[in-house]
Amino acid sequence: METAAKVVVHKAPLKARIYKYRWFYLLFLPVAAFAVVFHYLPMFGILYSFTNYKIITDPVWVGMDNFKRLFSMPNFWTAFSNTLELSIVKLLLNTFAAVILSLLLNEMVNLRVKKLAQTVIYLPHFMSWVVTASVFQLILSPTTAGLVNQILLKLGVIETNIYFLGDSKWWRTAYYIINVWRDTGWGTIIFMATLTGIDPGIYEAASIDGAGRWKKMWYITMPSLANTIITVLILNLAKVMNLFESAFVLQNDAVMDQAQVLQTYVYYQTFNSGGIPNYGYTTAIGLFRSVVGMVLVLACNFASKKVRGRGIV
Amino acid sequence: MKKLLALVLALTLLATLAVVNASAEEVAKPEKISIFIDGTVVTSENGQAQFVARWEELTGIKLEITQPDHDAYYDVLQQTISSGDWPDVLILSSTYYSAYASEGVLWDMTDAWENSATKNSGRFIGDSVIEGLKIDGRLYGFAPTRGNGCLTYVKQAWLDAVDMDAPTNYEEYTAMLDAFVTQDPDGNGVDDTFGVSAAGFIGTEAPFTNYLPEFYQDAYPSFVQLEDGTWIDGFTQESMKGALERLAEAYSKGWIDPTTLTNGTKDCRNKFYDDGFGVFTYWAGTWGTNLKTNLENNGLSGELVALEPIAEVDAYFDRVPPVWAITSACENPEGVFKYFIDTMLDGGDMQMLWTYGAEGTHWSTAAETLFAGTDAEVTYAEGEFHMLENLETPGTAYTKNHIDPMLALATFAEGYYDPQEESVKPEARLSAEVFNTHSKLAQIVPSTEEMSMYNGDLTTLKNELIAKVTMGELSYEDAMARFEADGGKEWSDIIVASLNATN
Amino acid sequence: MAQVQAGIAFQRRKRKFGAFSIINGLFFLLVCFIILIPIWKVLVDSFDLTTGYGMKLWPERFGLAGYISVFTNPTLYKPLMNSILTTVGGTFFGLMLSTLGAYVLIQFDMPGRNFLAGALLFTMIFEGGMIPSYIVMRNLGLTNSLWGVILLPAINVYNLVLMRNFFEGIPVSLFESATLDGCTPMQTFLRIVLPLSKAALASIGLMFAVAYWNDYTNYKLYITKETMYNFQMKLRSIMMGSDLPQAIGGATENTVQNAAVIVAILPFMILYPFLQKYFVKGINIGAVKE
Repeated sequence: METAAKVVVHKAPLKARIYKYRWFYLLFLPVAAFAVVFHYLPMFGILYSFTNYKIITDPVWVGMDNFKRLFSMPNFWTAFSNTLELSIVKLLLNTFAAVILSLLLNEMVNLRVKKLAQTVIYLPHFMSWVVTASVFQLILSPTTAGLVNQILLKLGVIETNIYFLGDSKWWRTAYYIINVWRDTGWGTIIFMATLTGIDPGIYEAASIDGAGRWKKMWYITMPSLANTIITVLILNLAKVMNLFESAFVLQNDAVMDQAQVLQTYVYYQTFNSGGIPNYGYTTAIGLFRSVVGMVLVLACNFASKKVRGRGIV
Repeated sequence: MKKLLALVLALTLLATLAVVNASAEEVAKPEKISIFIDGTVVTSENGQAQFVARWEELTGIKLEITQPDHDAYYDVLQQTISSGDWPDVLILSSTYYSAYASEGVLWDMTDAWENSATKNSGRFIGDSVIEGLKIDGRLYGFAPTRGNGCLTYVKQAWLDAVDMDAPTNYEEYTAMLDAFVTQDPDGNGVDDTFGVSAAGFIGTEAPFTNYLPEFYQDAYPSFVQLEDGTWIDGFTQESMKGALERLAEAYSKGWIDPTTLTNGTKDCRNKFYDDGFGVFTYWAGTWGTNLKTNLENNGLSGELVALEPIAEVDAYFDRVPPVWAITSACENPEGVFKYFIDTMLDGGDMQMLWTYGAEGTHWSTAAETLFAGTDAEVTYAEGEFHMLENLETPGTAYTKNHIDPMLALATFAEGYYDPQEESVKPEARLSAEVFNTHSKLAQIVPSTEEMSMYNGDLTTLKNELIAKVTMGELSYEDAMARFEADGGKEWSDIIVASLNATN
Repeated sequence: MAQVQAGIAFQRRKRKFGAFSIINGLFFLLVCFIILIPIWKVLVDSFDLTTGYGMKLWPERFGLAGYISVFTNPTLYKPLMNSILTTVGGTFFGLMLSTLGAYVLIQFDMPGRNFLAGALLFTMIFEGGMIPSYIVMRNLGLTNSLWGVILLPAINVYNLVLMRNFFEGIPVSLFESATLDGCTPMQTFLRIVLPLSKAALASIGLMFAVAYWNDYTNYKLYITKETMYNFQMKLRSIMMGSDLPQAIGGATENTVQNAAVIVAILPFMILYPFLQKYFVKGINIGAVKE
């Protein structure tokens, strides 16, 4: 029915179609104005990535030098692959956990427990990363003060304390768990809103047809959620390369080979240079991150179009 | 007698000449001075208006202040400068100072300084500090204070508990740490104490070794300029071997807190207050009081020994202080120097203002009772100097304005009332005195192209090796082998060569 | 016969329902418990007058000094008002732009629709950077102005795309019948789209509100006047206080800092129950159709 309508409309001349949607262009005007003023006007700054710019003196055009320097930095590729791995695994784990929690919350009949749970799981999102890191350093510490080690010792799972955040073998596991702790609850908001949008009539009809809990979950809930899940995943892929704060506050000297991400790498590069940051170089790194984000988004959007017949926007 | 007379006459003549000379090149008084400052000067919620009013009253010049959020200072500074708004004066950290100076955007104040009232006041005690700020012999910034540094505090109660005196050499130092671990110095019957703790085995900023000086001793993991002017990388020196072996021994014996690697500074402080360990190398001066009050608040003894450096540590490091610099965009740099910078340590009202703030807002000598209603109520008699209640944190008093009285590079003029006695707590003064007598200035390391290219990776690698050797995961020899294999040696050589090329 | 079967199915479902429901409830209680452990540590420390390092079940020396110190801070009220103002204003503008943009983007046949969508997505991935943004803000007179920190984050493509996703769930037939009834696009938007998207508005509105409330980055870059700081900026300076020499808090520094962390969560705890009803109830679109 929808496709049929599309075909008909496409046959109409462009002018007529534009006229038909004239009010929509007007409605879009404020959005366009904001996007132009706050995003497109500053875009001239991308040009800085091809200059050396120390702010106190005028920018000097250097062509691709900043990019060449970036790619020739000794441990650049390690930091790059760490970023991709940490970010993407974190994204998948957080989304997966958020979907599971949302589905289970949706099945919850006891409204009091549901409300309590919804309030509590959002809380960690409000703690800054600095505070989060300092609390988890205590909970995971390899001393008598470390709650996790004490419990594992009592249960006989381990025989000696494990330095979760100080041991390269354990650091990533701990990193992912802390991330899931902090952001899963917040991630459920959007899925919960999607679930409440599902017409209860469909569930009723399915029940009358004799569908059980799992069938309904699989055939009604999941398809409704799928669209949101994919949208959220792709939107977040655009930010994969921006990973900074969570890695920065949790990393330490002994686990750098696991924990160094692009943003922290560049931070230390500047911090230890003994000079003032070259803004052109910083911009070049930003542009590089954007290009990687765009490639990821376009690739996944393309895959989504192939599989589902549509992209995210 | 004649000789003396001749000398006096000659001196008088010279002085007159100097005065005439100075008035000959009459420095014009600026109408307005714009300054860019970080959070080390009173903020607007803390009576900045009264500070400015008093400053303007003393000089007759309008003072325009831009004070961004302390953490975003350099971001906002760069934005402001990029849009073409240069202030007349700004505060710069040592890194930014040397970089800005080498780009030629700071006014050369060498001559102005030589002829300044401050330098020639007879009260100025910071010639070595100013000397350390010179770049290629020229001065581009002024520091009213020393940079301060860390010294080692030892809990007296713990020393008493294990029946020991404060250590004077490394052997005694480690014996003390050992006793602090094994002899239950906190007396709670549980084996839960450590000797010493720090935020990381190595600091993130120069002078990197300042939180664990007793183990590093003469070793330094970064670039050092020798007496003859050549640069070397301290990490590759023989002395580093000894340092790492001392650290590894201390770690394996439990003298060092096992979570030192992941500690933040706040974790360290809290553990110290919680009687988790007994030796803490931390900031000299005011922190001496802070550590004491926090310990006492926990019901523990606040008595701390401000340890003189043990025999193997010749002196504690004094950081390069942040500086006040005049930009080359300033239209009347001589005037700004004379009325803004040269007055900061005038030994009188202005120094008072920069040190303690404005009378009636930050300090007072009126008879009054402070903190009425709290258990820490204090009554002052008429004429008794005291700091006033903090506007932002009621129940606490201000401690100072921009200049820390214990770090000031000039004393107050003779006859001018110096409230240091009243404003500085004895334990803070003691800690500052010990530090002042036993500290050496840290060097400014210039930046080179090679440094900005390789020092990030190099430092990460060095820090990783230091951590791994300390924690017993690598031997010193294996670590040095990895240092070579991973390119550390090569980067280090390149940077050293570039530093030596600038000489 | 069919009725009997349905009855049996119903009974079986109900029994399964019971066991599952209990396990599910217990599971969430466990999840809540685990999530609360680290927060409990901060909460206990905020009420504890002794400065401890390890985990404690209860405060060693209970006292409200930390909270008293935060709440008696006379410089905290103006920032609180600034925060409320910018959060309310910003959430309004944010929702307005997101819903308008999303509404236009579900017009799949609109000429240029894909271009507009692409142009928006582009701004999410590419950015001009800190300095150019500052120059634009400054030239617009939006630095040292609350308008700046309200308007800049209001255009949020991430939220706009999510909103579009929700709007897409509205049956096409509703739009068609609205058009047949003579509704203009704006009327359809106000009468059909918005009323049917309460959960979306609540959730994305919450995301906007929290982002505005927690905003620190824009304030530190575009505001240098302390009178325009928001609540987060002030709480942060309380938490970081010990780094600034003149703000050394004395005996209960640690307590005050932990209290500030808890106070930062409070507004959400107060606001959330009011929003919750929009997440709990599903909307029966069938009912709207009639």
